[in-house]
Amino acid sequence: MKQAFIDSLTKLMEKDKKIITVTADMGFSVFEDIKKRFPKRFFNTGITEQASISFVAGLSLSGYKVYFYAQAPFISMRCLEQVRLDIAYHHLDVKLIGSNSGFSLNQYGVSHYGLEDIAIIKTLPGVTIFAPADSVEMTASMEESYKIKGPVYIRMTKTGNQTIHKNNVDINKPILINEGKDGLFLVIGGLLNRAKEVTASLKKYNINLNLYSCPLVKPTSRALITLLKANKKIFTLEEHTIIGGFGSTIANLIIDNNLKVRLTKFALPDKYLHVSGSMDYLLDQSGLGIDSIVNKIKKII
Amino acid sequence: MLTEKEIINLNKLSKEIRKQILKMIVKATASHIAPSYSIVELLVYLYEKVLKINPKKPKDPNRDIFILSKGWAVSCLYSILAHKGFFEKKLLDNYCIDGGKMIAMTTINDIPGIEASTGSAGHGLPIGAGMAMAMKLKKIDRRVYVIVGDGECDEGSIWETALIASHQKLNNLVAIIDYNKWQSFGRTNEVLNLEPLKNKWEAFNWQVIEIDGHNFNEIDLAIKKSHLSKNKPTIVIAHTVKGKGLSIIEDNNDYHYKTPREKELIIAKKEGLI
Repeated sequence: MKQAFIDSLTKLMEKDKKIITVTADMGFSVFEDIKKRFPKRFFNTGITEQASISFVAGLSLSGYKVYFYAQAPFISMRCLEQVRLDIAYHHLDVKLIGSNSGFSLNQYGVSHYGLEDIAIIKTLPGVTIFAPADSVEMTASMEESYKIKGPVYIRMTKTGNQTIHKNNVDINKPILINEGKDGLFLVIGGLLNRAKEVTASLKKYNINLNLYSCPLVKPTSRALITLLKANKKIFTLEEHTIIGGFGSTIANLIIDNNLKVRLTKFALPDKYLHVSGSMDYLLDQSGLGIDSIVNKIKKII
Repeated sequence: MLTEKEIINLNKLSKEIRKQILKMIVKATASHIAPSYSIVELLVYLYEKVLKINPKKPKDPNRDIFILSKGWAVSCLYSILAHKGFFEKKLLDNYCIDGGKMIAMTTINDIPGIEASTGSAGHGLPIGAGMAMAMKLKKIDRRVYVIVGDGECDEGSIWETALIASHQKLNNLVAIIDYNKWQSFGRTNEVLNLEPLKNKWEAFNWQVIEIDGHNFNEIDLAIKKSHLSKNKPTIVIAHTVKGKGLSIIEDNNDYHYKTPREKELIIAKKEGLI
């Protein structure tokens, strides 16, 4: 996923001289080549997320398209008011790349986890949110972000450092991974791999899920609503707090469309973890272990 | 140096702008008259003598940029933009009306001449720095002027920008602090002392010029000096009086909030502001 980001950004910067990349001192082993190739269009503004976002707004108000890169918790919280006023309220052509979201920096604890970024950014009108699951979706998110003349938030996770799709994808719609008739399983981000394992496990019990990857978190697509209407049992999975994330979006869609369905949300519980651990350990602790998900789905179906 | 005639004209215009501000604020029962009055001379000087702007081509890429970082003093900015012909004067009657575009914090809202929406403290200066950087990238020989409130200098983002702008050698960025010594809840030196303010900006590697912000000759010299800077951004510390120009509200922080009513308006009339 990281390499897909670097490659896409490099291509876009080659193609369009109006693109500037700004980082608030993040991007070790990410931006070295871009810095060398585009020295005048790459800025490291230091560890100043707040001023950096306003500075980026100034560049964008002057006609540049800006990609701003920082760790997800810092981009979505440290400078939220700047994102709200200077980027979203001005509806600027700025792309916010939140790296290492979810439990990506598993050893570092809550200061570096991106647990709430979707819930927070989702409240800002006019900001498109992508949560890609793999390198193919990351490339597609970057290409789509370039076409959108407005603010975009792309949520990167280490779980997304994988290549799942074999072909190019339409990032604006749920992407079919497995066809089934026993329930709808909607996933955002890198946990798609885990969802595939869950789906495979369930096949042993003759349960066949309709599994989709849903990289477009906001705005929601018509295709997504059509899917919700066509299924009775719905499951969501995300590496994000259960409050205000993708599952909440689905819950709202269900209510808004008056659908008689059963929704089960798999997400991180509403509490802080105070332990260290591997990604698998943290997900297990959060109730997102493969067996735990499989058992819950089995009971419901 | 400005000629005597120029100064007379600038003072005359300043009075007109204060009249207009009073009219707008009274009509709308709005706040922030005092912080609007403290920057009148600064804005009048910039718009009359400095800014390379064309009201007929407000988006001209070759223009100077002015940003009101202390976005709550917008009645002054709207008044001067109307005077310059960016829009019709009668639009000022729409200040804060239902469905009006002219809201009480500086907001672009397609209003010609407004370059950035501000109002929350500490945003305008870094936005201005980004614009100054963009001018450098595009090799446009113009400048960005930003008026910052003194209380606004409490914000961390101001000092983050102090680092960024000097590091990037933005000698085309001119910030002016409206140092009226009041902030929302008291005297700046009692709430959160900014002093020694000059030394702070010097330590951040800015060119620092200290002036009386109501004296046109001093403003003139400061801005001309800012244009000579080779590789540093400039900060003009403009000592001002909050509410300057209407005796009853001068140096009185109540009028950060209060709308002038009967008793103030009687005095305003005596002092030629109505």
